Amino acid sequence: MEISNIQSLKRIKSLAYVAITIGLIAFSNFASAQGEGLFKAKCATCHMTHKNSTGPKLAGVKAKWAAGGAKEGSIYQWVNNWQTAAANDPYAAEVSKWSPTAMSAFPDLKKEEIDAILDWVDAQPDPALVAPVPPGGADAAGATNVALEEESNSWVWLIMGIIFVVVIMAVGGVRRQLKLATSENEAEAEKMTYGEELRALAWKYRLQVGLVSLVVVISLFVGLFQSLYSINIMEGYQPSQPIVFPHAQHAGINGIDCKYCHNTVAKSKSASIPSVNVCMNCHKQIDGEGKEYAPQIKKIYAAAGWDKEGMKYTGKTDPIVWNKVHVLPEHVYFNHSQHVVVGGIDCKQCHGDMTQMTETAKVQPVEELNKIEGNIKLTRKTLTMGWCIECHGKKDVAIGNGKNGYYDEIHRRLKQDPKLYAQYLNNDGKVTANELGGWECAKCHY
Amino acid sequence: MEMSKKYWKGIEELKQTPEFIKQKDQEFPSQQSVEDFLADENLAESSTARRDFLKFLGFSVAAATLAACEAPVTKVVPYVVKPENVTPGMPTWYASTYYDGASYASIVVKTREGRPIFVKGNKDFGFTQGGTNPQIIASVLGLYDSARLAQPLAKGQKASWSTVDTAISAAIAKAKKVTLLSNTVISPSIQRAISEMATKLNGEGGTKFEHIQYDAISYAGMREANAIHFGERIIAGHDFSKAKTIVSVAADFLSTWLLPTEFAVQYGVGRSPEAKWMSKHFQFESILSVTGSNADVRSMIKPSEEAAVLAYMVKALGGNPGMAVSAGAWKDAADKAVAALKKSKKESLVVAGSNHIGVQQLVIQLNNLLGAYGSTLDLNNTINLYQSEDAKALKLAANVAAGKGPEVLIMMGVNPVYNMPNGAAFAKGLKSITTVAISSFEDETASLCTYVCPDHHQLENWSDHMAKPNEYAVGQPTIRPLHNTASALESLLVWNGSAARGGQDSAVAYDYIQATYAAMNPTGDFNYLTHNSCVAVTSTLATLSYKAAALKAIPSAASDTEVVFYQKAAIGNGDFANNPWLQEMPDPITKVTWDNYITMNPVEMEGTYATTYDQEHGLNLATVTVNGKSITLPVYPLPGQAPKTIGIALGYGRGANGENIGKAAFQTKEYGGHAKTKDGKLTPIGANVFGMLSTGATILFSAAAKVTPAEGTYPIAATQIHHTVMGRHSIVRETTLSIFQNNEKDAFNEGHKLQKLDKHGNHVEAPVSEFDLWAAHPVEKIGHRWGMSIDLSSCIGCGSCLIACQSENNVPVVGKDEVRRGREMHWLRIDRYFASDEEAAIGTKKDKKTFSYDNAEKAALNPTVIHMPLMCHHCNHAPCETVCPVAATTHSNEGLNQMTYNRCIGTRYCANNCPYKVRRFNWFNYPSYKKFTEVNPAQDDLGRMVLNPDVTVRTRGVMEKCSLCVQRIQATKLVAKKEARVIADGEFATACSDACPTNAIVVGDWNDLKSMIREKSEGIRAYQALEEIGVKPNVWYQMKVRNEDNNLLKHIQVADQAHH
Repeated sequence: MEISNIQSLKRIKSLAYVAITIGLIAFSNFASAQGEGLFKAKCATCHMTHKNSTGPKLAGVKAKWAAGGAKEGSIYQWVNNWQTAAANDPYAAEVSKWSPTAMSAFPDLKKEEIDAILDWVDAQPDPALVAPVPPGGADAAGATNVALEEESNSWVWLIMGIIFVVVIMAVGGVRRQLKLATSENEAEAEKMTYGEELRALAWKYRLQVGLVSLVVVISLFVGLFQSLYSINIMEGYQPSQPIVFPHAQHAGINGIDCKYCHNTVAKSKSASIPSVNVCMNCHKQIDGEGKEYAPQIKKIYAAAGWDKEGMKYTGKTDPIVWNKVHVLPEHVYFNHSQHVVVGGIDCKQCHGDMTQMTETAKVQPVEELNKIEGNIKLTRKTLTMGWCIECHGKKDVAIGNGKNGYYDEIHRRLKQDPKLYAQYLNNDGKVTANELGGWECAKCHY
Repeated sequence: MEMSKKYWKGIEELKQTPEFIKQKDQEFPSQQSVEDFLADENLAESSTARRDFLKFLGFSVAAATLAACEAPVTKVVPYVVKPENVTPGMPTWYASTYYDGASYASIVVKTREGRPIFVKGNKDFGFTQGGTNPQIIASVLGLYDSARLAQPLAKGQKASWSTVDTAISAAIAKAKKVTLLSNTVISPSIQRAISEMATKLNGEGGTKFEHIQYDAISYAGMREANAIHFGERIIAGHDFSKAKTIVSVAADFLSTWLLPTEFAVQYGVGRSPEAKWMSKHFQFESILSVTGSNADVRSMIKPSEEAAVLAYMVKALGGNPGMAVSAGAWKDAADKAVAALKKSKKESLVVAGSNHIGVQQLVIQLNNLLGAYGSTLDLNNTINLYQSEDAKALKLAANVAAGKGPEVLIMMGVNPVYNMPNGAAFAKGLKSITTVAISSFEDETASLCTYVCPDHHQLENWSDHMAKPNEYAVGQPTIRPLHNTASALESLLVWNGSAARGGQDSAVAYDYIQATYAAMNPTGDFNYLTHNSCVAVTSTLATLSYKAAALKAIPSAASDTEVVFYQKAAIGNGDFANNPWLQEMPDPITKVTWDNYITMNPVEMEGTYATTYDQEHGLNLATVTVNGKSITLPVYPLPGQAPKTIGIALGYGRGANGENIGKAAFQTKEYGGHAKTKDGKLTPIGANVFGMLSTGATILFSAAAKVTPAEGTYPIAATQIHHTVMGRHSIVRETTLSIFQNNEKDAFNEGHKLQKLDKHGNHVEAPVSEFDLWAAHPVEKIGHRWGMSIDLSSCIGCGSCLIACQSENNVPVVGKDEVRRGREMHWLRIDRYFASDEEAAIGTKKDKKTFSYDNAEKAALNPTVIHMPLMCHHCNHAPCETVCPVAATTHSNEGLNQMTYNRCIGTRYCANNCPYKVRRFNWFNYPSYKKFTEVNPAQDDLGRMVLNPDVTVRTRGVMEKCSLCVQRIQATKLVAKKEARVIADGEFATACSDACPTNAIVVGDWNDLKSMIREKSEGIRAYQALEEIGVKPNVWYQMKVRNEDNNLLKHIQVADQAHH
């Protein structure tokens, strides 16, 4: 699949070349598209358009070289191999002293392609000159994200209400007693107490009162059980985070593989929240200057001890304290590598489509997970034990397909008991995780 | 300016009504006083009284609390820069070396997220071949002891390193005499640093600096004897694996003598009945030691008879012992030993535990007569441990006590105030001189010192070792130092002016050790060395040859009662008295925890002392007087203790003045907190008997004693109070080597049979395995079936497995009071069984008709012993599973009996129904209840770091038991699955099998037809405990084979079989 995609891309590209030669598409438009593509593929690792990074900024570089007295065509030579250029042109030799980091050679870039790159770069507006973000914009964005706290359950309010009523009644009772005690009127003392009044009233309307009480008691019980069952259900849980990290930007738009940051997912039980140095691999360059997310990136710099101006680490680090999203009780053992490497489960199965997650992370409700194509459809609430074992009951382990020596051996042993094997297969035509012991207590609890 | 506006409180004030005027000065309008109000009778009768109001309010608060029952927000903090070799959630292993002045072993340390949590022997590298002992495995807990010193002390006050260093350097410079008293230094780097110091201070031929080595347990007698016969103070290398005959005269070489980590492994090699030959082990001793309990032939002697036994054997082998020879009650055993020695000649090894020069001379003579040198004894690869110079150390102590000591005394790794015979006098003398202690704790000695310089813990430290001249080993740090401590090597270098302090991440010791290695092996790769932890080096020793010499000292004549001072397997010389795992480890022989006591043969105790005890009825006390010093301790009935001798363990009574050596080193009260004496001091556990040791040319560990009964009883906590199996063949099985070799399985290991009807309706006998009450759980053909085999012939009862299990599985420590109630939590226990006079061998009745259960309850005078490790048997027909009302204990299709803590409601039916009694109930919340604050490490912020994060810490009210290290099974399976391959045999190891020095415990996948466990389970020695009840366990035992002549047993097992 992937290969054919690449082939079709190549085909499209060659078609485009044909298109230029017959002049059906405006040349400038194409050059711009070609320039952008080449810039991102070849140059963007070290160069930015309007800002110095590993390499100097590229905006207006042609004009700069011309003004500086560079030889004609020297700039193309430089791109192809800077050492040749530096040997031939004193200006290029001067440029090579800009940074001790040597530029890579790009001998296959043609003159037209270099022109396309530099023209595209020159056509880009300077972000510093673009109208700044309206005041409060960044803060407001931060505030909405941070304010995403868990919703309180309505039954909490119900219980609070009951407490309130009890307190009012108790206070009322005390007040009445005080009144009675201080009353000098003997006749008033003979009056019925609250309780007696209530009892008389209840007796009068005993049928109605009985029915209402029954309904109330039953609904209280139902409510109690429902609320007990919902204790510690994590579905929908989305704590606030110290840094507003949009997964959609990283995994979605930029297409960064999950394993690039969560790099222990295939090795260990924990997928790991990436260490700050992983963030810095990219964010050394991407400082978001002028963008509304710049304050968030500053927090990474503070954690890593990165001095942006001096382009160096200060050594003063301050780890980021995240709020854990997917929290399992301590008596549960869960191993990511088991599921990802051995089970071949996609991250989406449990975490949902993170490429669409504009905020950091959330325990996705099972309904959301079921919408994702390719996911095993489940009914129990996410991160409950029912949810785990439901999946274990459905997942085909695909033993004996010759791809995993471990399962081949299990398959060989299982075949020695044909009755049992047939029993496993007869249920659903596959050997599921639970049939290999995936429902046993000590697989996850020890 | 006058107020222009006036505000009124209400219409009453505006109108100035009479009521208002009357009440305006009263804060409350009530006309009734509180007394009147409360006295009102109506109030008491009213339906909503004040108390009800409070009840309502209380209920509301409780309801509100319940309503707020939400999971707390969990924080998670990733690394800023993740260390390259750390994968969160995965263990990292480091090869290292352990040496604490007594025990030595090559080890592997398991760390999780940078903290060490498990230590085991290194089976791949190092001459100790994976051998460990309980102390080494438990040492990881010592790292997290909150009583460890966190910074240097100067005159008892916290001080900085610079202050202390300046003062010490100045004192050394000024002093006329500087003495360094250390334990045995086997580190070539520290030796180099010391010699640099000597060169600098002494110059040419000066005597300003002196280094004296001193060990709590001295082997000076052995070294002096070698000096007499070989001209060098050496101890030859021993090889028990080559010895077909082993004769030990009171040497507990499997547990505490010399180098047990190496010897136990070697001994295990020669103890397999299936191999070409099996060693024959003779033991002559007074106490019943771990080694003695494993002997094929054991004879009881008094300590004063040690020389006589050896002299008798020397003469019998044609030598001249140089002393009068007479025979005692031990003659029969000695004759057998001589016969065996004559047969095996140079493939023999004779050892003696005595520190008496004369006794050791006889041993050397005997080994020389046999030709053992060059065979089982190696003069070219000697043992560098225990270089104690008793005479010098004792003289120094006497000088200090007399005020004639050196101006500066540096004490490194020693605690002479506690463990020197004249420690008390020495302590008094310390005040007048400048003293420096390099010690991790403010212990008995350090608390009296001018300066205390805390050393790193083993696991924080770079160290190097040369326990034998042919092997150079390094110890690498497995954690960044927890406190502001410094390596002892660095301290010496700093005081000598050749290095500057390096702080917490100091590389001083590391660089110095690298330089030492570079000098030793210029082409050696240090990283390779660190990876393996050790490397072979060639040493050139002078060729030594035996010279005959007269006995330097003839042992003193016998006295009426003699005392032996011995070390217990767990506590050793007392350095680990603060380690609760070790304090609670049952002694391999007596099964007593948390105490020392007087051991005496129950036959001798009859009539004077109680010979039985339980949780309520303690032991009688007795007063022992040795060399004019008296001590009162409980008397423990120990079968096998030689008549007219008693034994008392060293290493107890630590912290007699309440020194801060760790919470677990002191007695606790029944409901928590330390027990205090009348004057408010902490009460030590047991009594210190180092002060009773006699001193001659060397320190001696036995003496004449006077024992008199004392008033009162003392409660003692033992995990096993019965002694025998009462002839029950289904628990342990025993045979002799000749029966085993010459007969079929049915003779010595007959399976249990039941009657059944065959096809024709006839009664026939069938093995128990054919009977099933209900359909078997499918475990045989699908997937794995995890099983375990325990070899009772190789198990020496050392207790390493028990501590390894405790470390791996977060087993709580419960303290003495709870052990007394039978509530110890160990998942693995080692049952010790003595033979009785009613049995031909343990578990085999002499005569079924005349068998007396009353007599069988009593152990024999000198019984044979079997150690039987017992943990959950993971029965395929588990009785515990069927009685659990909530299915908290269930069977897995891999043959495991699973225990699900979060489902358990604590009915304890399962424990009642378990035939092996291996289930443990959490009576308390050990990680938080105040009763266990002093003993349970999980209650300490630092101690908690030792917990294994892969195993749940259990809470109150749930049952727990051995899980067959299911976390390790799962981890092993996962590695194989990820690598898409089958699990190799031997890949999976439980904590106990990992720790076993003799490889007695074998685990594996029984469904793997080629596995070791399958082979073992089908072997002719295999049996299952309590087979007749048909629970089909997944644990097999390999029956005990003793290399002895037992005609009675032969008659029963062979003749009776023929009769069948």
